[in-house]
Amino acid sequence: MTTQHVPTANGTAMSGATSLVKSLEAANVDVMFGLPGGAILPAYDPIFDSTIRHILVRHEQGAGHAATGYAQVTGRAGVCIATSGPGATNLVTPLMDAGMDSVPLVAITGQVPSAAIGTDAFQEADIRGITMPFTKHNFLVTKAADIPRAIAEAFHIATSGRPGPVLVDIAKDALQTQTTFNWPAKIELAGYNPRITPDNQSIADAAALIAQSKKPVFYVGGGVIKAEASKELAQLVELLGAPVVTTLMARGAFPDSHPLHLGMPGMHGTVAAVTALQKADLLITLGARFDDRVTGKLSTFAVSAKVIHADIDPAEINKNKFADVPVVGDLRETITALIPALKAALEKSRPDLTPWNASMQKLKSTYPLGYTLPDDGSLSPQAVIERIGKISGSETIFTSGVGQHQMWASQFISYEHPRTWLNSGGAGTMGYGVPAAMGAKVGAPDATVWAIDGDGCFQMTNQELVTCALNNIPIKVAIINNESLGMVRQWQTLFYEGRYSNTSLESKRVPNFPMLAEAMGCVGLSCERPEDLDATIEKAMSINDQPVVVDFRVHRDAMVWPMVAAGTSNDEIMIARATAPDWDSQEL
Amino acid sequence: MSIHTIEVLVENEPGVLARVSGLFARRAYNIDTLVVGPTSNPEVSKMVIQVNLEGHSLEQVIAQLDKLISVISIEELVDGAKKPVKDTQPDYQN
Repeated sequence: MTTQHVPTANGTAMSGATSLVKSLEAANVDVMFGLPGGAILPAYDPIFDSTIRHILVRHEQGAGHAATGYAQVTGRAGVCIATSGPGATNLVTPLMDAGMDSVPLVAITGQVPSAAIGTDAFQEADIRGITMPFTKHNFLVTKAADIPRAIAEAFHIATSGRPGPVLVDIAKDALQTQTTFNWPAKIELAGYNPRITPDNQSIADAAALIAQSKKPVFYVGGGVIKAEASKELAQLVELLGAPVVTTLMARGAFPDSHPLHLGMPGMHGTVAAVTALQKADLLITLGARFDDRVTGKLSTFAVSAKVIHADIDPAEINKNKFADVPVVGDLRETITALIPALKAALEKSRPDLTPWNASMQKLKSTYPLGYTLPDDGSLSPQAVIERIGKISGSETIFTSGVGQHQMWASQFISYEHPRTWLNSGGAGTMGYGVPAAMGAKVGAPDATVWAIDGDGCFQMTNQELVTCALNNIPIKVAIINNESLGMVRQWQTLFYEGRYSNTSLESKRVPNFPMLAEAMGCVGLSCERPEDLDATIEKAMSINDQPVVVDFRVHRDAMVWPMVAAGTSNDEIMIARATAPDWDSQEL
Repeated sequence: MSIHTIEVLVENEPGVLARVSGLFARRAYNIDTLVVGPTSNPEVSKMVIQVNLEGHSLEQVIAQLDKLISVISIEELVDGAKKPVKDTQPDYQN
């Protein structure tokens, strides 16, 4: 949904604040999430008259993650706005989060008047300095005349190349001063010129290497979704007929239902996906970055594989893993160029991938993802998540918090489309789920949006349900309530002799989640028995005029498997506690 | 030899030194010396940085520096002469 704004003519006289709002309109912003305060207050006056929908959040962190959810669903820049000092620092976590996951985000903050900068003024914080390490770029604007250019550059930088967060900090006096509006026709930045088109030689080298490989695997990362390259990826996979793994950030980039899809690699990846990377002779890496959660102990990762590394960010090349063939450029352009090049190369020589595919398919069928139901007949967290996925269907958008429920939501929901799985992958931000779902629902109002949340995560950011209730944003929240910080507890079980230091939240006693939900203007439901599971989910699905929160009271001892313990080799993958796959029966 | 000298042209704007030195600090790159001065273009400053690699690759240091929007170009100085940076992908001199 794009709002058509009446364009503002350059040279029109107005305040800096009005020029900010006119600039946001010129950048085709249709919605922003924010909360006013002293330093940003001049901007809120023209916002009152703008065609841009402003959603008043209850905490600035909610604004940041909502803007991220919006961006992840729409592919457009998400916008959040806050005041100086604590308002701005509350955006720090979402900005770091967006930086780690390459999300296009524009954050606007008020700053104390320029004459007061550096005096420890009321609500002064050096937010430009604070956010320098994890924003793609940031600005401090102290002159009204500079506002439109800064906003135009911010959107350009946030959405082009490798997307990322950009912060524009604007001094209060710049907002208050009269100026003339001047929206730049063209953006030219001497130090910024991302490479979009890959060079022909790299494409030819990649094609030649693939055509020699007997054990190739597509290692697909979130970049494929950012580049809108899922369709092209599917064509490339069909052409070669090699197995595919999709990382946590790439779930949905390639359909889970496709027979060549082995699932997610990494710390909680499938045996087949982890082993495919370990045993491959070639990694066809597309928009992935060899994160430690994927590689395990780096020195033992994919030791016999050559590496093709396609990424839009040249700094990812050779950062963690040497690339035999680096390809820098937009992934859709890269894959589009690679398809005919590979076709030609395969006509000359086509290795038989049958034995490789057969051994991977055997692993996939021998070690499917699964779980055991609790002995005491209580509710299984994995079953709850799996049933929500099945009942809600593949057009649903899912967000999650961080921890066990996140891994289960990645494992037990089948993702068929890009931009249907939103989570905090790089940063691991607990509390991402609810506000991200809010932003996702605003970006895709016709879709069903479920936040799969933990009881720990939910207690960090649930205040945004008030925002949802008041602004007609009917999201659905499943609290996977195991009354614990579940993933931390799992590590305590495995690595700290079951000494559960400070991981018991007692969330089955306090708070009463359904009552809390009702207090915030949502429908509150609860489910404790497996026999009520489907009916409860269907009840939640039937409510579309209000946010719904379901307290699923699940068994607390369930663990996420498979698991590669932190710092160990992927070869040491465990399918259950102290249980390795039976490698002797596998031919790899 | 793990000490390299690079010449970095940057936008002459407030905070640019913090951007560059902050990058070195957070990625654990070691600066031996750093000199900043003007150029004939008042909008552009020049930094000459001696970096002690200590296990990092020069290519990675340069690639990370190049991600800073305020960094315009990077060249390595070898025996006083400018040497084109050997790179995986040529975005450095844009």
